Amino acid sequence: MAVPVEEAIAALSTFSLEDEQPDVQGPGVWVSTERGATNSPIEYTDVSAYRLSLSEDTKALNQLNTLIHEGKDMASVLYTYRSCVKALPQVHMSSGFGNALQVGWIDNYLKPWEFAGIMWQLPDSMKQSQADLYLETYQVLDLEMSRLREIQRWQGSAASKLAADMQRFSRPERRINGPTITHLWSMLKLLDILVQLDHLKNAKASIPNDFSWYKRTFTQVSMQWQDNDSLREELDDLQIFLSTRWAILLNLHVEMFRVNNVVVAEVMVVGHGAGDEGSKWGCRRGVEWQCSSCGCVRGGGVVVGGREMVVVGWWRQRSWKKALGVEDILQVLIVFAVESLELDFALLFPERHILLRALPVLVVLATSSEKDSESLYRRVKINRLINIFKNDPVIPAFPDLHLSPAAILKELSMYFPKFTAQTRLLTLPAPHELPIREAQEYPLNPMNQLVLLKSMDGADVEWCKEVKGNMYDIVVEGFQLLSKWTARIWEQCAWKFSRPCKDAVPNMSHEMVTSSSDYEKVVRYNYSSEERKALVELVSYIKSVASMMQRCDTLVANAVWETIHAEVQDFVQNTLATMLRTTFRKKKDLSRVLSDMRTLSADWMANTSKPESEVHCLQFLIYEVVSGGNLRKPGGLFGNSSSEIPVNDLKQLETFFYKLSFFLHILDYTETVASLTDLGFLWFREFYLESSRVIQFPIECSLPWMLVDHVIEAHSTGLLESVLMPFDIYNDSARQALAVLKQRFLYDEIEAEVDHCFDLFVSKLCDTIFTYYKSLAASSLLDSSFLFSVENGEKFSVQPMRFTALLKMTRVKLLGRTINLRSLIAGKMNKIFRENIEFLFDRFESQDLCAIVELEKLLNILQLGHELLSRDLSIDSFSLMLNEMQENISIVSYSSRLASQIWSEMQIDFLPNFTLCNTTQRYVRSSKVPPASLQKPTIPHAKPSFYCGTQDLNSAHQSFARLHSGFFGMPHMFSFVRLLGSRSLPWLIRALLDHISNKITTLEPLITGLQDALPKSIGLLPFDGGVTGCLRIVKEHLNLGSKSELKAEVLRGIKEIGSVLYLMGLLDIVLREVDTTHFMQTAPWLGLIPGADGQILQAQEGADSPIVTLFKSATAATVSNPGLSTQTSFYTISKQAEAADLLCKANMNTGSVLEYALAFTSAALDKYCIKWSAAPKTGFIDITTSKDFYRIFSGLQIEYLEESVQVPPSNHEVLGDSVAWGGCTIIYLLGQQLHFELFDFSYQVLNIAEVEAGSITQTPKNSPFAQVSPIL
Amino acid sequence: MARAGGITNAVNVGIAVQADWENREFISNISLHVRRLFDFLVQFEATTKSKLASLNEKLDTLERRLELLEVQVGTAAANPSIFNT
Repeated sequence: MAVPVEEAIAALSTFSLEDEQPDVQGPGVWVSTERGATNSPIEYTDVSAYRLSLSEDTKALNQLNTLIHEGKDMASVLYTYRSCVKALPQVHMSSGFGNALQVGWIDNYLKPWEFAGIMWQLPDSMKQSQADLYLETYQVLDLEMSRLREIQRWQGSAASKLAADMQRFSRPERRINGPTITHLWSMLKLLDILVQLDHLKNAKASIPNDFSWYKRTFTQVSMQWQDNDSLREELDDLQIFLSTRWAILLNLHVEMFRVNNVVVAEVMVVGHGAGDEGSKWGCRRGVEWQCSSCGCVRGGGVVVGGREMVVVGWWRQRSWKKALGVEDILQVLIVFAVESLELDFALLFPERHILLRALPVLVVLATSSEKDSESLYRRVKINRLINIFKNDPVIPAFPDLHLSPAAILKELSMYFPKFTAQTRLLTLPAPHELPIREAQEYPLNPMNQLVLLKSMDGADVEWCKEVKGNMYDIVVEGFQLLSKWTARIWEQCAWKFSRPCKDAVPNMSHEMVTSSSDYEKVVRYNYSSEERKALVELVSYIKSVASMMQRCDTLVANAVWETIHAEVQDFVQNTLATMLRTTFRKKKDLSRVLSDMRTLSADWMANTSKPESEVHCLQFLIYEVVSGGNLRKPGGLFGNSSSEIPVNDLKQLETFFYKLSFFLHILDYTETVASLTDLGFLWFREFYLESSRVIQFPIECSLPWMLVDHVIEAHSTGLLESVLMPFDIYNDSARQALAVLKQRFLYDEIEAEVDHCFDLFVSKLCDTIFTYYKSLAASSLLDSSFLFSVENGEKFSVQPMRFTALLKMTRVKLLGRTINLRSLIAGKMNKIFRENIEFLFDRFESQDLCAIVELEKLLNILQLGHELLSRDLSIDSFSLMLNEMQENISIVSYSSRLASQIWSEMQIDFLPNFTLCNTTQRYVRSSKVPPASLQKPTIPHAKPSFYCGTQDLNSAHQSFARLHSGFFGMPHMFSFVRLLGSRSLPWLIRALLDHISNKITTLEPLITGLQDALPKSIGLLPFDGGVTGCLRIVKEHLNLGSKSELKAEVLRGIKEIGSVLYLMGLLDIVLREVDTTHFMQTAPWLGLIPGADGQILQAQEGADSPIVTLFKSATAATVSNPGLSTQTSFYTISKQAEAADLLCKANMNTGSVLEYALAFTSAALDKYCIKWSAAPKTGFIDITTSKDFYRIFSGLQIEYLEESVQVPPSNHEVLGDSVAWGGCTIIYLLGQQLHFELFDFSYQVLNIAEVEAGSITQTPKNSPFAQVSPIL
Repeated sequence: MARAGGITNAVNVGIAVQADWENREFISNISLHVRRLFDFLVQFEATTKSKLASLNEKLDTLERRLELLEVQVGTAAANPSIFNT
């Protein structure tokens, strides 16, 4: 069943391509296989079609390009070379090296796949397998050495080919066209590669190291071989090559001046001289050759040079006076390089670096003799060269290797002694820090222009053209900015490498102060915090501009092409035509060239409305413009006024010439953007890895990670959104490892690091986010009056940060993978919140009940933080998490972790150890009870973010919590109610009531014991003895003192009962308050009004409550208005309103907890009613022999009171006021309160004291007994 | 071949160049549109991915909710006596 195409398209067109993900990451992976226009994909085969007789040039060009290509491979092989020897078992043979046999495993083998075979078969039979070992080692090393040999061979051939090429194209008698600009570039590039190779070879210490191993094993192995002379010779060759500094350049020098030794005698002599002087280097071939040739040369001395060497290219035939060597082309190259560098218009940074690297070598080559130098300096003033070298004292060559022109010149001038003494000027480069300025002006307008571009379909032609022209300008500007920025980063990087930080670890912390490796000095400690910040900013500039440019690639492509086409055609059809008519009429040669140019590129037929044309062939146009119509002259490309071309036209030609070279980059849009924004070099550290002798550096030393880390640690609002940008560096370097360096193991290392880094990043980021939201919540929950009165209140305010962009990232592109950062963060957050709740409960469990207020506060902060965060991120609801951590998810369980903790805490600690104070309505820990009696887990330690976020906020909240940590009272009760809620609170009440009944049960036998101890009879106290007499009588009769343990036990029991009952009273107050609030909130909706005597009345009897009426009428209104689509939901709402009405009304009349508790207690007492309040047999009140509870309590009380007035009052602080509460409640519930009031010993004593006081002295009443006045 | 020769057959070359321009225009048109198609696909993928991600998020939430409910129902069903009062 096929869907018609039209339908499919229509369906697709409704698909919204809007994407809510913000652009805060780099462009990620470049999907581009486009080969640049700067590399001709068809090897310039189409050049011949233009019939410009350039076949020679093309051929040479292609040859050079192949060499360049190969050379790059060689360089990457050399750069990524890692020493194999370290991985080999170290065998020191007694026979071979005079050492005892010893096998040392250096475990940092680097390419295990190559050694797996031999590594594990060694240990057992070493002696026997010595020879085998050597053979194996040899074979392994041979593989590596063959690569080096290949490089040696290649550089030889490359040098000779380059030299030959230069010679061919500097010989006028060959009469070939060229070299063209492209050709010059190729020469420069090849030269550059040779320089780089040489530099690498010099820098890599492991190569000679490996080689000497190889040679040793070779001597061992080759003993058995018959014919090893040629091999040995080859080996010597390689050794010389490897151990000579700048061997490649020396060889090149020799090659260059070899073929024309007859003609250019002096150069030969010089060359030989150099060879003699630096005899220890000597390339074999070079030496032999010099020996054979020097004699004749020295005799014959043809004087050349010293004459103005002129023109390249087209004028050459006329002004050519002498046959020369390669000097002229060297000079041309130097002039070209210097002018390009000075102009610095059309150069992107890779090209600029090539020129900078090649220039010193060119200078060295070109000044091998006095006369050459003179002629060179006549064309290019030495100051210009020196200026260039000074401005860029350090040139990046490889990611962690740099070149210094001054050093090259200095070092090479030893071998080329004729190089003028002026080099010493170079030895002091100006101090050259590369501060990255922060505020780069952003190209802000491209977005507007894009909108314009999109909107211009069918608009005015002229206007369109203008918009497109603007677009073109913006693209050019973008490229230049990108190039500038990236070059800056790279140059700063090289600069940092050349200037390791002096004082290791100034600000970093304690660890590893002494042993910071070279790489750490160069990278880790070498960037200050500001520099890191600037680097991050610049990286994100680059990456975001790049991703913007990449995204609008296909949008602007058309406009850009059209502009280029228009410019070319304008030039060819108008400017050239004018020139042809006016200035060049007389000059046949020139005019022919110009008309050639017209023929080549004119697109006469193009209709102007849509002249979309591929401008790819402009490459050849440049090629032609420059070589065919060669505009270059001695002394500068365009700077000479000696020619016949008028200044005006020259100017036009010059402008166009430079524009052309930039066209290429723009045509290669994606390729150029990709290469300009490739920051992969920031990761690579092969050179330092080797010199530090480690497998890999820790990620703290890795620059990309340092940047990420800096962003997270800096807590800077502006930087935060660029935190993903440095990860794009990994993308770049991974791509480089695979596509440029072609090394799998590098990619593996990068991948491992990225995995590690990203995990770290996510966890760090989550911590930051969590801390931020937590402290935000904590600071908003701080008491505002406190904040107002505190002095430095701003330390409690939280600097706002925006995580929204990061929280929306669902597709982070990393090494070709797509990572859903949002879900990672959400998952992590869910976990952190749970951990935090868990931690708070743990903390509460390790403290006493008073900490409940603090717990509630902390939970509130957490909840608010959760609420704030869940605006941006969907995470589990807080109540769910709380329930989960409280372990009461099950709907049939009513206890929770918190409730049971509270309960057990009450049983173990609170009820026995806390004493009640009536006046303050607080329970306080009794000082008499030893606190160490119970085992508690120690308070778990946690990060500040698990409390309130930051340290300051923590201490602020801590001081609030401390106010409540010493007692238990109303605030704690409120916390109870709020934390336990209506679900667990009944459970707790029930548990407490059960506790009362248990206590009563345990009291029963004790009371019986006390009853036994009561005297048979004790009557009313006589008044005659006075207070002291009474007390004596009481003491004599009540000998409860003998049962002191029993007594204490009973008192404690009664105290606990009293405590619980008082607690219930408090709870009742709190619940009433809560209920009242609730009532106030719901009453208007339910139509309730409070009646006269605390009753709740319905406002309108029989009618619906207001809330139901409201929603019913709303539903009715929607029914009458059929246009509304949400009718059903209104209906649902009205139904729900009815349900809410019912539920809330049912909840309205909650009873009193205290009443219930008393009823419960009374019921529990029922069982013991007979024992504790025996009905008198006589029917009268039993005064003397009663053993009822009130008697017992009365006896207990008077003794207790007596004890409490003793000088150190012992008992009161243990029992507090709750004893009275407990005892009186029981008495009341047993119906004995009248008896008690009548016959209580204390009352009697009080009465007597009153009478005594009234009759004898009018002493003020300061009786200590006044404090006990139980009122019930 | 000396430089002085220049383009030997300017007319032919001119015609060829003209044809070349036209060919190139055609090729560039095609390639540009292929790239636009490709761009569309990339963008389509991106959008779809983010939509799928948000869907996944919602499903995740639902799944958790469901899991919770299942556990609750399970605990309730394990104690039927509570409901037979």
